[in-house]
Amino acid sequence: MSNKAIIIRFCEIHLKGKNRGYFEKLLKENIKKSLKGIDCSFSVLHSRYLVENFDEFDFDLIVEKLKKIPGIHTISKANVVKNDLEEISNCVVDMCSDKEGTFKVDTNRADKTFTPNSMETSRYLGGKILDKYAKKLKVDVKNPDFTIYVDIREDGKTFVYTDVIYCISGMPVGSAGKGLLLISGGIDSPVAGYLTCKRGMKLDCLHFHSFPYTGEAAKEKVIELTRKVGEYNGGINLYVVSFTHIQEAIHKNCPEEFMITLMRRFMMRIAERLAKNLGGQAIITGESLGQVASQTIESITSSNSVVSMPVLRPLIMFDKIDIIDISRKIDTYETSILPYEDCCTVFLPKYPSIKPNLEKVMKAEAKLHVEGLIEEAFLNIEKISL
Amino acid sequence: MIYFDNAATTKPDKSALIRAEKFNSDAFYNPSALYQGGLATAREIKIAKENLLSKIGAIGFDLIFTSCGTESDNLAIFGVVKRGTFVTDMGEHSAVYKSFLELKNRGHNVKFIGLNKDGSINEEELFDFVKSNSVDFISIMHVNNETGAINDVNSIAKRIKAINSKIIFHVDGVQAFGKIRYNISKDIDLYSISAHKINALKGVGALIKRKNLNISPLIIGGGQENGLRSGTENVFGIKVFEYASDIHYDNIKDNYSKVSEIKQCFIDNLSDDFVIISSNESSPYILTVSAVGLRGEVVMHALETKCIIVGNGSACSSKNRFSRVIEACGYSSDVLDGVIRISFSPENTMDEAIKAVEIINSTVKELKRTLK
Repeated sequence: MSNKAIIIRFCEIHLKGKNRGYFEKLLKENIKKSLKGIDCSFSVLHSRYLVENFDEFDFDLIVEKLKKIPGIHTISKANVVKNDLEEISNCVVDMCSDKEGTFKVDTNRADKTFTPNSMETSRYLGGKILDKYAKKLKVDVKNPDFTIYVDIREDGKTFVYTDVIYCISGMPVGSAGKGLLLISGGIDSPVAGYLTCKRGMKLDCLHFHSFPYTGEAAKEKVIELTRKVGEYNGGINLYVVSFTHIQEAIHKNCPEEFMITLMRRFMMRIAERLAKNLGGQAIITGESLGQVASQTIESITSSNSVVSMPVLRPLIMFDKIDIIDISRKIDTYETSILPYEDCCTVFLPKYPSIKPNLEKVMKAEAKLHVEGLIEEAFLNIEKISL
Repeated sequence: MIYFDNAATTKPDKSALIRAEKFNSDAFYNPSALYQGGLATAREIKIAKENLLSKIGAIGFDLIFTSCGTESDNLAIFGVVKRGTFVTDMGEHSAVYKSFLELKNRGHNVKFIGLNKDGSINEEELFDFVKSNSVDFISIMHVNNETGAINDVNSIAKRIKAINSKIIFHVDGVQAFGKIRYNISKDIDLYSISAHKINALKGVGALIKRKNLNISPLIIGGGQENGLRSGTENVFGIKVFEYASDIHYDNIKDNYSKVSEIKQCFIDNLSDDFVIISSNESSPYILTVSAVGLRGEVVMHALETKCIIVGNGSACSSKNRFSRVIEACGYSSDVLDGVIRISFSPENTMDEAIKAVEIINSTVKELKRTLK
């Protein structure tokens, strides 16, 4: 009887030159961390990884975990047999028992001592399959319904598989530095977080809470969203800053139409300071150009002008409908649309300024003790490890 | 902390828990088992049924234990009448209201009767409808969970049956049982109650039904509750329900006057910032008011920081944040926005009420100043 293995392939890392070892090592560590607690063995095999010796019933769980690790391109569940033509043949024929339609056999022979050669092996195995299932299976090498891959390795093992499961690709988390994601509880910011993890940036999250104007339920929702982003990040820390006094101060002292603009400026300042404390190199937001008043180019200019750290906006040119598609894919949509107030909606002015004039904004802001308010916000910062 | 959200749930009564404790230890047996221990617990369930039925003078009625008030309502709505015209009102709890929407989805005739300003059903509209239509099933709540309005269900049922004696009449009595003095009339076919609203535990409810009324179960299995609600009985929860109801009914008059005074204290002392929605005739256990110009949820959270717990009726969302029920009472959006529900239990004291009113008044002033 053959053993089972999961073959893990990565994508872009192949493009790396001398740094490749670094990326591979990171990915390996991320996979190991993710599979911790599941009884299985993990090994490296020529530009791919192998998970073996797992219980059959853990297979789906392992696949679910692997599908959330940036840097993995595809995975396959393979049967493992010895480099022996008869054993391979038995395995291949077995795997066809529940198949119908057209097929081809694709042999890759890393072990060049193995005879016959790849073409002949494919032909031999195809013949064996037809011997048994001539009634329901036919060969079609150009456009088959399914392909049986036979991978004959140098270490005496042959992997036989049919399906290739596509994962999220991207780069291993940690390979692109560290950033701080502003997470609100809406649809966009978790998607921005996911895309950032996918490109290999390790994330922390920052949420602004406005109790009593927003409730604990709103915070619970953000925790849940952050946890979901964290699945792509190998765990995550959420920092919660109380924004109540800042909002009250702006509301009391500044013109209503600048409420949101000024709030965004405070958020960016706090984010930059926290990111620096955490060793981060960038701020990430879920802004999408023109989606709401605070996301016009004028508003972005105004909020961007208070920080020097790069602000990454993965969704800047995305349409809402495309963002929603991704949020469904990463399973954050249903949580995002739960009806609790988030900190942006409570003090929403009737007519927010769509194109805030920077000069006027700064004049309005001058009425506030900016440093003092920020200092106060940092006094009660809450850290939640997820 | 001062707890004024007793219409949501109440704190389990310690003495009832202690009295029922043996059903979590020595007397743990499955009531369906045929040995002595099992038979003894089955007997205890029977005693609980008879005792609970006696609280509302239910002679000629059976009682089916369920997992909650919602399940009881569902069993009544989906278990008796299989097709026809179903009538309820706009003020019902979601357990009834959404079940009626489901009936509508399944293609039945469904009619929602309007409300009076205090949240009680518009009786004339109901009678007119029943006179001019062939109605099969009616569901009306006894005490409205959002406004506290009391429907005189016995007299409504009597008039309904006089028009058409074949109509099945269900009452959601969840906010009335143990609180309002009441004897069920023979015109009522089904009556739902819930344990955790009277200082017993979550996870237990019951449907009281007229004897000989045919009902088909929603949950099929081992045939417990005469086959009408399968699943091993929650013996401990059932006994706590029974014992808590003993305490409530032994003191029902005193409790009623006590919470009436507490409610009156709120009505007399809440500032002009509030509009009182509950009427004087409503259940003294529930007072719904609106802090006009503020959002109810914000007021609720602000009070929470000052250790006062109140409810805000319904979950809030930026698109649909109004209470469906208060809206149906005919209030404008600025009143709807500020709704909070203050609900009482006999454990609340006058001192708590005086303190809470003061804090509620000052908190709302403060919020209005901040958000001006």
